[in-house]
Amino acid sequence: MIWKIAKKEFLLNLMTFKFVIGTTVCIVLMAVFMPGLVSDYGERLQNYNGNVAMNEAEFQKVKVYNNLTPTVYRTPTVLSVFSKGIVDRLENSERIDLDEVSGTETGVGETNTLLSVFPTLDVTLIFKIVISVLALLMAYDVVSGEREQGTLRLILSNTTSRHQVLLGKLLAGWMTLAVPVTVAFIIALLILLTSNAVSLSGADWLRIALMYVVSLVFVGSMFNLGLLVSAVSRGSAIALVFALFLWLCMATILPNAGAHIAAQLRPIESPEQFAARLKAITDQRDREIADLPRDIQEGEGTSRSDGTGAFGNGLIVFANKPFMDYLTRLYPITEPHKMQCIDKLLHVKAEYLGGLVRQKHLADTLAGVTPIILCERLMSTLAGTDFGNFGSFKGRVRTYRHEVADYIRDKTANFTSPIYFTPSKEGDQERFFETYFKPYDQTQDKAEKAKLYEIAMQKYQQAATDAPTLALQDFPAFTYRSQSLMSTLQQAIPAAGLLIVEGILFFALSFVAFLRYDVR
Amino acid sequence: MIRQIAVKEVLENLLSLRFTLSLLLTVSLFAVCGYVFVNGYREQSQDYWKRTNENLSALGGQSDALYEVAFHQQGIYRKPQPLAVCAEGDEKSLPNFFAVNAFTADLPRIKGQANFALPHFSSLDWVLVVSLILSFAAMVFTYDGICGEREAGTLRMVLANTIPRHEVLLGKYLGAMVTLMIPLIAGMLVSLIIVALSRDVSLAPAVWSRILAIGLLSLLYLSIFVLSGLFVSSRTGHSPNAMAILLLVWVVFVILLPSLCRIVFEISYKEPSAAELDRRLEEVTKQLWDNHEKFGKNAGSMSGNLSDPMNNPPARARLQNAIVDARNDITDDYHSKLLAQAFGHRDFARLSPVVMYQRAAETFAGTGINRCANVYKQVKGYGANLKEFVRSEDSKDPQSLHLIGPEHEMARSWRAISHNPVGFDAIPKFQERDFTVAESLRLAVWDVGLLALLNVALFAAAFVSFVRYDVR
Repeated sequence: MIWKIAKKEFLLNLMTFKFVIGTTVCIVLMAVFMPGLVSDYGERLQNYNGNVAMNEAEFQKVKVYNNLTPTVYRTPTVLSVFSKGIVDRLENSERIDLDEVSGTETGVGETNTLLSVFPTLDVTLIFKIVISVLALLMAYDVVSGEREQGTLRLILSNTTSRHQVLLGKLLAGWMTLAVPVTVAFIIALLILLTSNAVSLSGADWLRIALMYVVSLVFVGSMFNLGLLVSAVSRGSAIALVFALFLWLCMATILPNAGAHIAAQLRPIESPEQFAARLKAITDQRDREIADLPRDIQEGEGTSRSDGTGAFGNGLIVFANKPFMDYLTRLYPITEPHKMQCIDKLLHVKAEYLGGLVRQKHLADTLAGVTPIILCERLMSTLAGTDFGNFGSFKGRVRTYRHEVADYIRDKTANFTSPIYFTPSKEGDQERFFETYFKPYDQTQDKAEKAKLYEIAMQKYQQAATDAPTLALQDFPAFTYRSQSLMSTLQQAIPAAGLLIVEGILFFALSFVAFLRYDVR
Repeated sequence: MIRQIAVKEVLENLLSLRFTLSLLLTVSLFAVCGYVFVNGYREQSQDYWKRTNENLSALGGQSDALYEVAFHQQGIYRKPQPLAVCAEGDEKSLPNFFAVNAFTADLPRIKGQANFALPHFSSLDWVLVVSLILSFAAMVFTYDGICGEREAGTLRMVLANTIPRHEVLLGKYLGAMVTLMIPLIAGMLVSLIIVALSRDVSLAPAVWSRILAIGLLSLLYLSIFVLSGLFVSSRTGHSPNAMAILLLVWVVFVILLPSLCRIVFEISYKEPSAAELDRRLEEVTKQLWDNHEKFGKNAGSMSGNLSDPMNNPPARARLQNAIVDARNDITDDYHSKLLAQAFGHRDFARLSPVVMYQRAAETFAGTGINRCANVYKQVKGYGANLKEFVRSEDSKDPQSLHLIGPEHEMARSWRAISHNPVGFDAIPKFQERDFTVAESLRLAVWDVGLLALLNVALFAAAFVSFVRYDVR
């Protein structure tokens, strides 16, 4: 009997005006905007590849070890077309450097800050807005509408029991709603697959499948909510108004309210304070370095350095003996010190980020009681565009920093070797200095001085270009794997559970309400 | 007769569930708006005054040498706007910091941004409540205006009398508008009372005309939804169908279109990148350096000792000025591209009446992108003023070389700009000037005009459909 009711309802639903309009809107939106989203992803991928290639090219130019400050980049995720999450707003690269960590990580994804005013769009938006409205539209007159038409009386006067009627209607509603969801996913996938920029791995497919399931569960929950509203109200018009006000609150007011309240309840450190804390640490480091014994701190003699090192750094080409001695004494002390300082800076930064995450979690918890937010969160978790993934990238960068530092330490005998800062063989720097720069410094005659200067500059530039590049075959490579499916699933379980529980709760309540419903 | 119908409509609406729901929702949201705004405003003004005073005292610290005043990098923040309670204009995510000295104004930057990890939430202001909640309520009040009466059979009876159809339509329209005005005005009053009661916000008398303008604008906007409700209602025979269509129209125009426009626009518009700006700046600087002989002999080199024969102060100043001018031009060009992109976006998003309404309300409230651009312009003007001031003060000092150039070292060691102290009071200080009412009107005229046009079009459509409506 349930099946019969479901089938009849399903067929009836397919013929309704609202279904036709809703599905059309869904299809049109997908077909129009999916290519845009895909090309957006393609562009980001191209940028990423360009950046990585540029970084690789710099490796070919490295002549001294202190120039090794590569930048690592986060690979854009293809699934971001399904859910943009917050990935766009996060820092997607980090420079591995001994001197500093990049400051606050705000608004980095946006080149034009004026554009942050405009909302972003992804597949989730289409789902959470259009399909959730459609779900409510499908459900609002299921009970109250049949009462108004008088058909509910007829059905219940037969031997059909109430739970059969309700279950049948539930099944029919779900089947009807599964149609636009499925069609939308198929269109999205078709467009994804026909694009050249995109290649989907097995895990991606699995994630997409899970997103599909989440969408179905979400739509089901929304339908159950509509069913509940329909079963507690007498007239279908009132049910509709009530359902839509509920939707309006859930889709627009609650997320905003959650964010506002979270910002009030759990205030974060202001970016200025954060910057000030970072600065305090670097200032202290600089003071400590300045406090070093005088013979280490201030070198005698002179040097010539060139700005053509790799990764935008400079390197020392010539130096006289006292200066070389000074640097070989200086670096073994300052560099480990700087490394410790970097750890402190990273710690502060992690604390700051932690504050942001806690605030976001609170906002999510406050607003996350509604299926719409739950669905959004689940989608971004599954797409790998949420905070968890960002955190794992940051963690990986942190270990990579240590790998790089250990590598340099190893190669330069704890920063004591001159190859840390100057490319030529030992003794060369001094010899060059004596031969070319000393005469220039000592000459008083202006014309002669200019000539000598010319020669010295030529030699110096020659030496800078001729210096051999380092063999970096064994340099640790940055490999970053986005979170595994298992850990993603673990993160997704609470929200998914809540979504399912809500769906069941709505149904249970509507079941109770329907059992007590006055069908007259 | 119109009056009678309107009164009857209003009375009927007042008793309905939808009215109670929308009144409660609207008034409570307006109250929250006021409350959130007052708190935020207090904080913002404290920050603003703290930062402004810091900036001024830093400037005061430089006043013992004129050249230091010229080179001092001033940090200027945007003033918090009391009318942000009406239309915040997403100011939180717009650049709010401007660094300027007598020679250059840096690109506007965002400082002290809130948690970027939070979902991008719209600022809670009147515009949000009106554009989302009340527009929705407008449709809920009217979706069964015509077809509902047909279903109930009352439309036949009304029209069987001598009442012409346009009177019925007008009566219904006025009835719905009056009903909507109740939550709107009540909400605005509650919000204003909360704002007025707090001692932190002072509303200048000039502000009231702007508030009135925003109120009228809101009515114009809501009228669109009332008219589309009547239009759809008079095209359909069955009220749930009318609601379904209206709802989808609402979702598409109010929620989806503003986002969709972004995607379409991004495909069609190439974003100028910051890396490209840096590259261009570097290029032009290098080019001028490489051709430094063009500005005079030895322009490219300098030593701290002015009597050193390799120094050529006028040539050096010409070179440095040329570099800064070229860089400023490129930065300006870049900034105007960014602006063009943002404005293009908004013009494109005008497909949605919400965007028109938001834009116009922002303009009346003196917030939003327009204001950002305006403040930046003022900051640049201030930089030019400061330069003029430095020039005129400098001309009084016989020891100075009178070479107003952007190189600090030159001014310091050569005395290219006077080292004499200046009175702190005499130094021009930055004062932000809001748009005047006339300027706001001029900026908003397109949006208001389009809203009015849309109203007229929808009214005509509703009228024609209703005249041809089969009342059986």
